[in-house]
Amino acid sequence: MSTVAATWDEIRSLHQARPRSLLLRGTMLFFGLAVVAVWLSGEIEVGDLFTERRRRNLMRFLTIEAVPFPMREEGAATLPVFWIWVSGIWADRGAAATLSTLWLALAAIVLAAGFGTLISPLAARTLATPQPYLLEDRKRRGPWMLVSGGSRLVCASMRAMPEYVLAFFLVNLLPFTAWPAVLALALHNGGILGRLYGDTIENLDPQPLRAWSMLGGQRAALASLAAIPSAVPRYLLYFFYRFETCVREATVLGMLGVASLGSEVVEVQASHFYDELILLIAFGVGIVLLGDLASHLARGWIRRAG
Amino acid sequence: MVEPRPLPFGARTLTVLALMVLGAVAAWQLRLTPSGLVPQEGGWKLTREFLGAALPRPLDYEGSSSPHWDPFLLKVGKSLLRTLAFAIAAMSLALLVGLPLGFLASDSWWRPEAFGGGRLAPIARPLQVLIRTWIALMRSVHELLWAVLFLAAMGLNTMAAVVAIAIPYGGTLAKVFSEMLDEAPRTTTEAFRGIGASPFAAYLFGLFPRALPDLSAYAFYRFECAVRSSAVLGFFGYTTIGYHLELSFSDANFREVWTYLYALLCCVLLLEAWSTALRRRLVG
Repeated sequence: MSTVAATWDEIRSLHQARPRSLLLRGTMLFFGLAVVAVWLSGEIEVGDLFTERRRRNLMRFLTIEAVPFPMREEGAATLPVFWIWVSGIWADRGAAATLSTLWLALAAIVLAAGFGTLISPLAARTLATPQPYLLEDRKRRGPWMLVSGGSRLVCASMRAMPEYVLAFFLVNLLPFTAWPAVLALALHNGGILGRLYGDTIENLDPQPLRAWSMLGGQRAALASLAAIPSAVPRYLLYFFYRFETCVREATVLGMLGVASLGSEVVEVQASHFYDELILLIAFGVGIVLLGDLASHLARGWIRRAG
Repeated sequence: MVEPRPLPFGARTLTVLALMVLGAVAAWQLRLTPSGLVPQEGGWKLTREFLGAALPRPLDYEGSSSPHWDPFLLKVGKSLLRTLAFAIAAMSLALLVGLPLGFLASDSWWRPEAFGGGRLAPIARPLQVLIRTWIALMRSVHELLWAVLFLAAMGLNTMAAVVAIAIPYGGTLAKVFSEMLDEAPRTTTEAFRGIGASPFAAYLFGLFPRALPDLSAYAFYRFECAVRSSAVLGFFGYTTIGYHLELSFSDANFREVWTYLYALLCCVLLLEAWSTALRRRLVG
């Protein structure tokens, strides 16, 4: 009996001695209250979604508008008719739009990776320091703090802006080319990759780098000949991880006018051809899944190759 | 003993070179030339005016305003609050969907000693593949495309906007959660199984808590992304911050635009700082 009581006491004292964090509890409390407040505020029109008007809209959409145009006639809802419709739109503009979406993502991610690679030695606190990798006081980095802090702030500001907002401004300011979409994607992802690449350099094994430094290697040589080359496998992992999201984002940036899937979506939406809208979205699903697969294979290959 | 290389370059150099070539091909296909980066006549004037308005000035309406309107900063605050509200609502739904799906998509759920054994054994693998495919489909349609689709099907409704964000976010959470659950240490769940806990109890109280810090840190990061997505939904008629940003821009009230931009930027940077602090506390 007494051993049971002692065990309970022990459990209780362990429970009381558990690590507690004000930040964690504050965050949990804040979000708990926020979720309740948002759903009760009436800002989210849950009830309105189930009104008769909405139901009629949805029924019209599902039974008429979403049905492929040639299949709406009596008895025409057959697979061959559907297939002719799909391949017609694919040949007409689907293929070109899908391909240019892919090119947008690719051009953007290569630019972003280039930027990230260039800024990574500056963002890495192990290199942006008076005597990189030599024994020194970590706290006293002097003006180098501004270099690493500044480049990290630049990266943070770049990634804080949503791609769509960046593209919106660029479309309005630059001449009509594909640049706004590419640049918007590249800026946002450049900010993300710059930070990840900088962290990668910071997490490299310091010993070989220290050996270089002690033999008289200068900072620029350390960065370009030692740190970046040995970080390349990680860089590539992040490259493909962001490529996936780039493909996803590229499907919508065209909505601002750059010729790609998004621009086609806007066009058919304006003419209320919702059957084609759904088909175009399906093409988008196709390349996003393809991008995921390519990235998955590439990352697996890099992991194995080291 | 180092193996002699069959080629003058290693695999890394070749991969990097190949990607650079692919990038160049993409640029060529899209006809990207440096001249496209320089604004044209009308663009120059607009660019100058737009960038000229970047420095913070008295934060009030530009042009004509009505005394019945909210003070400008109150309007900015309200639009930011609505942006956050959409993101919070969307994330609460996404978590509700993403967590169970994450469980069901993880390998540890379908292990023979968990739920993949016994009568379920023959269908365990197909079932998991089915769930993973479902998750991939949820993620593969961008939230803005969901929003366009819902607008077409039902019209403007804030719940539809929230669901539009929640679907792809739920899928992403499920995918990443399942990976994190599979990477979590299995010692506790195995100990629980050893003393006779049911597979479900062992999973829920043995494995899930071990992965919880990672899951929470990732969920917070996704919340940050949801705020950005919710801001962008404003371009589609929902009155989040993007809506006012677009209106002010088309009225050429660039100082208002910059105020909205700074507000969004501060909000996102603040959330990121919060997220970093939380991650340090949770994951170390």
